Amino acid sequence: MIVVVANRWDQVAQAFVSRWAAHNIRVLTSQDLSAVGWHQRLSSADQATAVVGKEVVPQKEIEAVVTRIPCVVAEELFDIVPGDRPYVATEMTAFLLFWLSSLKCLVVNRPTPTCLSGPYWRQENWARAAAAAGIPVEPVCRRSMFPSPGPQHVTSQTLTNVTVIGPRVFGDTDPVLHDQARRLADVAGVELLVVRFSNPERGARFVSADVYPDLSNDAIASAMLDCLQQGTQVHA
Amino acid sequence: MTETGTILLWGLPADAPLAAVRDALQRMDCDVVLLDQRDVLDTEVELIVGSGVEGMLCVKGERIEFDAVSAVYPRPYDSRDLPVIAEAGHNSEAWQHALAVQDILNSWTEITPALVVNRPAAGEANGSKPYQSLSVESLGFYIPDTLITTDPEIALEFWRRHQRVIYKSLSGIRSIVSHLTDEHMPRFQDVASCPTQFQQYVPGIDYRVHLVGDEVFACRILSDADDYRYSKRVDMQACELPEEIDAQCRRLIASMNLLIAGIDLRCTPENEWFCFEVNPSPGFTYFQGMTGQPIADAIARLLASAPDHACIASLV
Repeated sequence: MIVVVANRWDQVAQAFVSRWAAHNIRVLTSQDLSAVGWHQRLSSADQATAVVGKEVVPQKEIEAVVTRIPCVVAEELFDIVPGDRPYVATEMTAFLLFWLSSLKCLVVNRPTPTCLSGPYWRQENWARAAAAAGIPVEPVCRRSMFPSPGPQHVTSQTLTNVTVIGPRVFGDTDPVLHDQARRLADVAGVELLVVRFSNPERGARFVSADVYPDLSNDAIASAMLDCLQQGTQVHA
Repeated sequence: MTETGTILLWGLPADAPLAAVRDALQRMDCDVVLLDQRDVLDTEVELIVGSGVEGMLCVKGERIEFDAVSAVYPRPYDSRDLPVIAEAGHNSEAWQHALAVQDILNSWTEITPALVVNRPAAGEANGSKPYQSLSVESLGFYIPDTLITTDPEIALEFWRRHQRVIYKSLSGIRSIVSHLTDEHMPRFQDVASCPTQFQQYVPGIDYRVHLVGDEVFACRILSDADDYRYSKRVDMQACELPEEIDAQCRRLIASMNLLIAGIDLRCTPENEWFCFEVNPSPGFTYFQGMTGQPIADAIARLLASAPDHACIASLV
């Protein structure tokens, strides 16, 4: 079984699972964390069970996981008493950090204590990492004062995306930008990365990055499936 | 004056650990600045990151360049809880500015080459106790038999097997650690709403260990309560740890990229050492007051050791 951890509104995750239903892919949401059936022990996973798609499954049947949320948010916990939602969301996030970290199967984007989908880096941190990797960088500048001096002039810029999914890199750009995105993924220690450059040409500057590839893109979704299936092959 | 740059303390002046460290730094004649969170509406901050990390803070007209700061001791509270921000209201301009200041400073403390005690991301592991326990166990400490479940029947079976069981939050939200009793039975079905953590009760003597750089301050705690933090009758004595346990504590905080920490241990009658928690932002003054251990002085020495002290400028 392949598991996609997502929020309950994530239509892209649902479409991804529906498209490849034959591969036994299911979505796990916060609703599954409010269902009888989870059984986890800190020192042993032998008897462990999880709840995926409202069904109790032995943990050993889970072969690969990808996570599309940074945390569980209170707003999606409709079934919890409103006053308890922030606390329960924090508890569920803490649980998922443990669970995803303890899985022995393939977890494509391993969680960190700051984010369930990998490193939670602000743009300053990505820019610093990109500069350290030798990538030309558009400086990140943030300023705050009170009262604000007035509306800030924001220049809209059309950016070029390069997406890293495991060993594959996507984006209609000069190959140099593919190499740079790959290098940044290695520096960050991530398998999934979206890097935005100032333009598609050689010499373009790094602008920003995140760890959430666009699974509504067919080629990227297909590469993600390939990546997840490596887990099923190891399992077999 | 020591040969350091400015040492920046960030938080509330009434916060006991922050105040104790400030006093210690002033006794050492260090150049210390307290960034008082209550002044947030008079605080301007700028951060520029490209090939380097630059920026500045300006509070009531007093400007500090980031590259003049050699060390930081951050203990900020949630800015939204400051009276001036709460009164301004959710999403007000003041509210947005307070959050922006906090976020920009958090970002800076993650990436500045200055010595930061501790960097925010390094402390986040404490936000999930079972996650932290994975690291703790891998470094040789015992951890209690722990069940996390949404199944009331499995929880009851665990309770029957261990006889004495405690429950506590999974996250870093502070909760009173309590024994399960018959009074909890009517609420047992609530377990189905959210994964809940149950632990085998481990008898023994509690130890609190504060690590500050290379220095270790251990104390033995005698209390009848399940959670000594909430007991009115607590006795504490400074003590030495067995050499092996001392070494394990040092390895533990090094593995977590922490420069200071408060570690909760318990030694059983069988001389098994259990580790319950590693606190990356310890409220050490309670223990310092009970034992006389000079923990604030040690933190001040650590901060003043920058830039000689190799800082952990992790990207993560």
